[in-house]
Parts: sequence; C-alpha cells; structure tokens
Amino acid sequence: MFSTGFKYFFGVTVLSVVALIMSVALFEKLALVGVAISFLIAAGALLAGLAAFTSDGTTRDANTSTSELVTQSMWPLISAVGVVFLALGLVTSSIVFFGGIVVLLAALSEWMVQAWSERASTDLSHNTAARKRLLNPIEFPVLAAVGLGVVIFSFSRIMLTVNKSTGAVLFIVAGALVLVAGTLFAIKPNLKRSVGAAVCVLGALGIVAGGVAGAVSGERVELVEAAAEGHFSHAECGPEESKYFDKLAEGTLSLRSNVSAIVVYQDGELIANVQGINSPQKSITVARSNPTNIVFRNATEGEFRLVAHLGHSVASDKTAAGESQDKSHQDTTCTQLVAPGAEQSMTFSIAKPSSAENAYYLYIAGSEDKKIEMVVP
Amino acid sequence: MSRSRFDNLLSTSIASVRVVLRKAFRSLVVFSGASAVFAGCAKNAPQDTWQPKGPNSKIIDDLQQPVFAVAGIIGLIVAVTVIYTLIKYRDRGQPIPEQTHGKPALEITLTIIPALILAVVAVFTFGAIFKLAKTDDTEMIINVTGQQWWWEYDYPVQNEFGITQPIITSGQLVMPVGTKVLLRETSRDVIHSYWIPALNGKRDAVPGRVQTLRLEADEPGIFAGQCTEFCGLSHANMRMEAVALSKEDFAKWVANQQAPYVSPAKDTLAKQGEEVFLNQCVRCHQVNGLVRADGTPAIAAPDENVWSGAAPNLSHLMSRNTFAGAMFDLLSKQCRDEVWNAPSDVVGAKYLAGVTEECLNQKDLRAWLRNAPEVKPMYANPANLAVSNGKYRGMPYLALSEDDINKLVAYLVTLK
Repeated sequence: MFSTGFKYFFGVTVLSVVALIMSVALFEKLALVGVAISFLIAAGALLAGLAAFTSDGTTRDANTSTSELVTQSMWPLISAVGVVFLALGLVTSSIVFFGGIVVLLAALSEWMVQAWSERASTDLSHNTAARKRLLNPIEFPVLAAVGLGVVIFSFSRIMLTVNKSTGAVLFIVAGALVLVAGTLFAIKPNLKRSVGAAVCVLGALGIVAGGVAGAVSGERVELVEAAAEGHFSHAECGPEESKYFDKLAEGTLSLRSNVSAIVVYQDGELIANVQGINSPQKSITVARSNPTNIVFRNATEGEFRLVAHLGHSVASDKTAAGESQDKSHQDTTCTQLVAPGAEQSMTFSIAKPSSAENAYYLYIAGSEDKKIEMVVP
Repeated sequence: MSRSRFDNLLSTSIASVRVVLRKAFRSLVVFSGASAVFAGCAKNAPQDTWQPKGPNSKIIDDLQQPVFAVAGIIGLIVAVTVIYTLIKYRDRGQPIPEQTHGKPALEITLTIIPALILAVVAVFTFGAIFKLAKTDDTEMIINVTGQQWWWEYDYPVQNEFGITQPIITSGQLVMPVGTKVLLRETSRDVIHSYWIPALNGKRDAVPGRVQTLRLEADEPGIFAGQCTEFCGLSHANMRMEAVALSKEDFAKWVANQQAPYVSPAKDTLAKQGEEVFLNQCVRCHQVNGLVRADGTPAIAAPDENVWSGAAPNLSHLMSRNTFAGAMFDLLSKQCRDEVWNAPSDVVGAKYLAGVTEECLNQKDLRAWLRNAPEVKPMYANPANLAVSNGKYRGMPYLALSEDDINKLVAYLVTLK
C-alpha cells in the first residue's frame, strides 16, 4: 500500500497543482504567488517521492497501537484567547494582532504535540515523557526569557520613574537582597524548594508591581525635558546653552561608523576631513534624500556651535491683522555648544540638489564667514 | 473479481509504481548532479567569481582557490564515508550491534584536525580581510547609493582627475584603470549589496551607514555585477556594471559629464520631447542645466514622489549603455556586443562613443516609457500606495501617448 507520508505529500502536490492552475486562470500576473506555489509543488513532489522510496522510514518494530488515554487540555482555551486577540488586533493595534498570532501558533503547536503524544502508546507515563522530551527544551527557555524580559522591563520602568539618588539606593538594596538570598541558599542547601520558589516569585511580583506603578506615573521630569531637547541637535541655533546634553550618546558605534565628514574648527578656520580624501576640504558632497552625519570637532579655546544651513522653506505666518501670509524661512539645524576639545554630531537630510540660488553650507554660529559648502548633486 | 485477485492486482500495481518512482528519483538525483557539474563549464559567465580582473579580487581568489581545494577533498572524504556507511550498514534484518558511548581518542583527533585546518584558513583569511579593508592608499572616491532597484554614483570634486564639479550618474560605474578607487556605500531605503565579482567581493549598502569597498581594475573593460542582498520585488533586476577606462579615456568621460546642457534646436521633435520631459519626467528625474520656459531651473522632486527620495539623474543619459537599474541595454544587441567584446585597447573608445540614434535599443526604451511596471516589477500601482504614503517604489505607469513617447525618445537621444 501507499504509505501515509506519500499520500499526504501527494495530496499537497495535487492541491498545489490545482492552486497553480486556478492562479493562472484568475490572475494576470503570478509573480511571487506563482513562484511560491511552484516551489510548493516541487517540495511536495520531492517529499512524496522520498516518502514512497523510504516507505515513511517504517521499521520492523514500529509501534502503531493507539489508545484512548486522552487527558484534559488547556490549549483549546488558550487558542480561543489567541483568536480573540487576533480579532481585537484587527480593529485596534498591530501589536495585539501579532500577539494573537504568537499565542495562537504556540497554542496550536502545544495542542498538536499533546494530541500526538496521547496516542503514542498505551502507557500514559510514556506519553507524558514523550511530550516533555519534545517540548520542554523549547518551553523552558522561552518561558524563562519572557519572564526575565518582563522583570527587566519592569525594573527599567522603576528606574526611569525614581530620581537618580533613589535609583542608586534601589540598586544597592536589590544587590544586597540577591547577595543575602544567595548566601542563605548556600549555607542552607536543604532548604525546601518551595521556599526558594516563593522568594523568587514574590521578588518578581514586587518588581512587576513597581514597574506597573512606574509606568503609570511616567518618567521623571528631567528625562522628559531631555528627550524634548534631543541628544544630537539643538532646537534653537542661537547662543543659548542646553541643559540636558547626553555626551555618551555621541560615542555610539552606529554614529561613529557612519560619518560623512569630520568638520574641525581650528585656528579660526573651518575644514572638513572626508574618509578617503587625504587633504582637508572646504566643500563636501552630500547624497540627496539620505541621512547625513557630520561630526563637529571644536579644536579652539572657546565654546562654539556648528550650524547647517539647509536652504529655505515657505510657511504661512499670521500678520498683525490676523491674515495668513506666505513667508520664507531659513532651514537650519545645529549642534549644541561644544566645549573646547570636544566633539558633537548632527544628522540631517537634504532633498533638493544645490545650485547657485539654493546653496547649502555649514558654518560656525556667529561667524557665518567660516563656512563649508555642501554640494548636493 | 474475487477479493484475493483484487488484492494481488493492487499489490502488483503498487510495486510497479514504487519501481517507477525509485527510477524517477534516481534519474532526478543524477540529473541534478550532472546539471551542477556542467554549469561550471559555462563560457558566457560575466559574473564568474573565478576570473579576477583586479588586485582586490585576486586577493580573494588566492584565498578561495586553496580553501576550495581543501574543502573539496574533505567534502569528498565525508561524502564517500557516509555513502559507504549507508550501504554497508543498511538495515537488512541483522541484530542491532553493541552500543558504545564513544571513543575519546578518535573524537579528540577528529576535533583537533578540523580545528587546525580552520586555524590555518583563518590566518590567511584575516590577512585577506585586512588587505581588503585598507583605505589609506585610496586614490579616488566614488559615493555609491543603493535604492529600490538601481544604484546611484556620485563623484565628489577631485581636481587631480579633472572632476571640478560633482558628477552624478547611475547604472554604470565608470573608473580609471590602475587606480585605487574607494566606494563609499550607503542606501536610501533597504539593505542592498554591491558586488562586481571580477573586481572585489560583496559589501552591503545599509541605510544610515557608510561602508567602504575597494575597487581596482587591471585593464580596460566592462564588468557585470548584481545586487546580492534581497531587497524587494525587483531585486533580481537590480544590476550594475563597472566600466574601467584608461586614464586618458576616463579624462574624456569626465569632461563629457561636466559639459553644459545643450537644449535641442527649436522646432524639432527633440525640442517637443524636452517639453514633455518638463511636464512629466522632471517631477522625479533631474537633468542638470535644464530650464523651464520662464528660465527657472527645472529641479526634480523625487523626494515628493518616490519612497527612496531619489530617481536616476538623466544628465548625459546616452553616455551610459544601460537604463532602469542596468536591467535594459540602451544599446541594441549588435552594438552592445561590439562594445562588450571589444579588446581592452579599444573598449574605451567604443564605450565613449555612447549611444547613437542607430545603436539605440528603441524597443526596450519605448516599452519602458509606455508602461515601466509592466517590464520591471515594481510597487508602482497607485491603488496600493497607502503603506508608502502615496509614494512609488520604482517608476509608475505614466499613460504617455505614442506621440509623447516619440518625442521623448527623440529628446533622450540628445542627452549625450
């Protein structure tokens, strides 16, 4: 007789051929659908051939007995929850939708393996062991990762809410608690597992509860202000100083590996160093419609700000009489005031090519004659 | 028919089908193996990684030849051992042999030998990586920007090569021979990968990053390449060509690229084509020096229409041999063959001749103007642009009349 595997894959192949014929009849262009179905046909045919050739890998002592040792299962319920999330996600948010997909897929996988394991033999304990052997290597790491993720995320919410000194105290207390718990478990190795589990669960619940409270009350004020001000560019390009400049953000690898030019202000001169060009430049080429990172290095004794002149835009302004009037605005972006010997970067994107009427340049705030031309081809 | 006869007939039929399937499976295996072997004999293989044409690709070749030999021998030993074991110890009803936990001496030996081989390979690999990553000996810079599905090249001002104003082009990278060229790669939309096999290995073009790739050609010639990072619907059609010219020919190419725009003569079909271009094409495509009827410069606005924010600059279009991301040739087949098959000492002159009216591949150019998404798959259906804020990925269908296409072709041919 034909093997079960052959019948299955043969059926998949036949259905795929039917699907391909219908696709050809219904769609003018197959594109990816055609490629996908063709691959499915090829894969189905290959697997059918393999299944027939190997007779499903049937061995002489194959155990084909089935049983009615069906246990209660929670997976239908969880699948239903997944479907509900899926439906809710369709009308609310894509995160809920994808969450529903994840829950549904996980529940269906678990359900499928459980259904298979319950029919693996007539021995209930063997069936349970078979299920565990298959799924525990996946379940434990995934659950641990999710659990740890929730605890870490909750802890981060707490730290973003409390002020800096409280945060330091919390870190010390958390470290001390871990040390005490570790010491306790070390000197009392016969401690009941339930006690250890209870301590861990209570600790995790406490952190999650704190995280929820922190998320509800929001981030502390200076973080909100710093985010509004921005790390890489300043809102105004005047002489004002910034309050919350994150100097560490300047050292990120992603920024350092993507520098279009390093602009140096030294001895009253502004020059640009471009990778691959050995001599200092007074003009740099900037790709159109692409984020461009410029690092400004202040090699003078004073504090200076680099400004990028990005052309002009027209916006409607209200006149004194209340009428709207189109007015040309200079588009600029700039670094913060950079201390002597320090560096800072800025990022911008220019959409239109440069021309005599539409020039782009970098200059030092307050000294517009110190400039570097930006050519946008 | 009795039950037993039916069963016998069924069993015979099943056995026959199994025999046929086995034969078909064996034939498939033999055919696949033979195809893989004979594919290596292809002569027309412009992207052959075993034919280096520059010092950087030679560094890779010098590494891959011995590694391939060593890996091939090891692969052969493993395959023969596996096949021998499968046949000799296949299940024939014999009792299951005694099960042992392992042989530590053998396992340690079989771990140390591959580790030593890999260590030796690693030493030479690191050497090659560092050589290919050098940038301090660069002689020329070219900025390369990938987007769905074409490459843009811009040449910053480099007076030593006569580049006194930035040059921007697409599809074909033109470079002087014997010159250490450094490509500064990035992308405007998704990750692409730049690869001219004859000149160097692959390098990803990643949005928000600048990555470098050295290129140098020993002799004049045209070298084909292909985007090697899946980047969407027309990834397979995102091609590129590197054109290496002698230094004299490169200087001529630079001079031509920097030549001012020449508007077609009045009352010609080409002049009417310029008007069509100003009405239709300049929304995305820039032609440097082109002005509107009122004398203002015609500035393209691809940032308002295209997802990547860019469309190929068509200045001096007919100095290139390709269009549409190097998917189509601007040259007819015969003229293209004359350029591609030319000896290295005359290929430059043939390339610099550009695309004449006689050599223009009218068929593909007209088909492109007629309905671009039909000849190159692109996300350009106006009904499906909600996810890209109404912006196209690639060139849309413009509903040009045949009359407009005639005018446009006449105009584009003038962009020498």
